[in-house]
Amino acid sequence: MKIKTRTNATLWLVVLLALPMLARAQDVKIPPDVEKLSARAKETVEVTMDGPMLRWASKFLSAEDPEEAKCAKLVANLKGIYVRSFEFDKDGAYSAAEVEALRSQFRSPAWSRVVGVRSERDGDNVDIFFKLENDKMAGIVIISAEARELTFVNIVGPLEVEQLADLGGEFGIPKLNPKDLSKSSSKAQRGDRR
Amino acid sequence: MKTLRVFLLLFCATTLAFAGDNEFRGVVHAIEGHYGVRHMHIPLLGFALFFVRPEGVSGLKLAVFEDFHGPTAPEDVSRVVESSLGAGWYPFIRVHSKNDGNDDGETTLIYANPSGGKLRMMIVNVEPSEATVVELKLSEHAIKQWLKEPGEKAEDQSAHRRHHADD
Repeated sequence: MKIKTRTNATLWLVVLLALPMLARAQDVKIPPDVEKLSARAKETVEVTMDGPMLRWASKFLSAEDPEEAKCAKLVANLKGIYVRSFEFDKDGAYSAAEVEALRSQFRSPAWSRVVGVRSERDGDNVDIFFKLENDKMAGIVIISAEARELTFVNIVGPLEVEQLADLGGEFGIPKLNPKDLSKSSSKAQRGDRR
Repeated sequence: MKTLRVFLLLFCATTLAFAGDNEFRGVVHAIEGHYGVRHMHIPLLGFALFFVRPEGVSGLKLAVFEDFHGPTAPEDVSRVVESSLGAGWYPFIRVHSKNDGNDDGETTLIYANPSGGKLRMMIVNVEPSEATVVELKLSEHAIKQWLKEPGEKAEDQSAHRRHHADD
């Protein structure tokens, strides 16, 4: 009887210790589909900035420069910025179906696609997805697919659509057109999904 | 004679700084132990690095390994490097370039150690025949540049190092 009680206690202890790890595992920073692409890429660039690094980095953005001051406020509240950029040596190194499979991971109820740009001429496609938690923005994913380049950006933490433009050009995040974002923002607030 | 004394003093100071840095030596020893290589002895390296360094960089330390024949995949290299880095070091940038479709290309790993107004960086570059370990401290201006375009700066660092190796 004593052995059974001890076994149960050990089991509970293991479950309790494993819970935070399980919670972390659900918060996917980079989907496995993205990591697989590096095997075919000519060059892979990965930028990882976790919470402590971001809080520290925000101190280096100038309080005197209004643009940088806005960015610093934003960055201090973020949990992480993860960028993966792949460059391929020929067109068609990755298929449209692979990018579509990647996009489909963000078509769950928690995510909304707010920007979807398709260029027939250049073959450049940009998608921006927002994660909502308790009616608040909790993360952003940007997927930019060009003929020979694919960039995946995951920003974890509270952020508004308009603020994304402030982050563009910093920490390896591509620059985004504020006009496109503000249009998309109003659609997102109305609950439109494309 | 006075010049010689100043020279010796500076040489000793830079050598002592090298000896005092356990993390840099830890990474160098981890690479030596794992891949069975020895870093090159470059006479007066500490003295040379004291005078010749990129803008905004201080505390430069360098170890070069020639005849390196280990796997250059980022996963292999990061396992070796991370096993010897202590707390406070964060993986920051990882760049991997392939050699004409060959998996054994070039890998650059950059780890950051932020504290106060300083940023220490440990840069490990591995190629099929050569590896280098660099530790440096960045000034505030250099930190801003790195934070603005981390990927580009990492590629520049890699190209800069390649250029020096070719010379």
